[in-house]
Amino acid sequence: MSEGEHKKSMEEIGRNESIRVTIDKGAVVAEGDIDLAGGPLLDTAIMRLEASGPVVIDLTAVEFIDSSGLRSLLTASRRAEGRNSVVVLRNPSAGVKRLLSITGTADQFQIEDGDGSLAAGGEK
Amino acid sequence: MTATNAGPGIDVAVADPGAVTLTLPPLPSMVRVGRLTASSIASLTNMTIDDIDDIKIGISEMITMLIQHGDGSPVTLCFEADDDNFVVEGSTAATRLDVSGNDFALATAVLEAVAETSSVAFNDGRIVIRLMKAVAVGAAER
Repeated sequence: MSEGEHKKSMEEIGRNESIRVTIDKGAVVAEGDIDLAGGPLLDTAIMRLEASGPVVIDLTAVEFIDSSGLRSLLTASRRAEGRNSVVVLRNPSAGVKRLLSITGTADQFQIEDGDGSLAAGGEK
Repeated sequence: MTATNAGPGIDVAVADPGAVTLTLPPLPSMVRVGRLTASSIASLTNMTIDDIDDIKIGISEMITMLIQHGDGSPVTLCFEADDDNFVVEGSTAATRLDVSGNDFALATAVLEAVAETSSVAFNDGRIVIRLMKAVAVGAAER
């Protein structure tokens, strides 16, 4: 895909001082910090994707997350469970993994690391 | 005390040598401002990168709780750092503190996990949240 075609496939949901959220190739892509300011934009993007299938959230460029950001992910996971589906977290950074570990919530998600492998509960 | 207006609604003051106070409007965008300030001050100590990351999480939880449970008044943070400890006390005016929600439980669990000690209290019409992170011995040599 050319850069021009790629840009066309990418839809920006919104951005603020904390985060930029887009939908690209069927995945929610978050860039920046998921906190009290960033969470609502992420919620909007996730709900947009829920209508069309499983939710994949690309966290490659997420530098920071706190519990208010985690709540957005957990709420999406609960809704997915209701649809007999899952939320996939793609390439979570060490910071994201640490918060999942601290809160014991890793098993609420399917974790997809850089090599494309999938693991439930953050285990490989 | 010297005071500096660092931006709209943001005041930074040095209360005494080693202590910094920051007053923030109770807005979601200010969580990041508080977090970056804490990170900058913590980086002046011998803390490791991992410990500074913990501080950023703790401050984020603190400011978020103060915004969500406060009455809309400004949030005040006081940072004190020395060779042994990094201490932050945050407060804001409130009519009450509702500790019954899942959100509160999650935030306090995170706060407890990233700090050596932490506390959340409601006294005299103010919510006061305090966290202390030890500066790891030998961190400077790493």
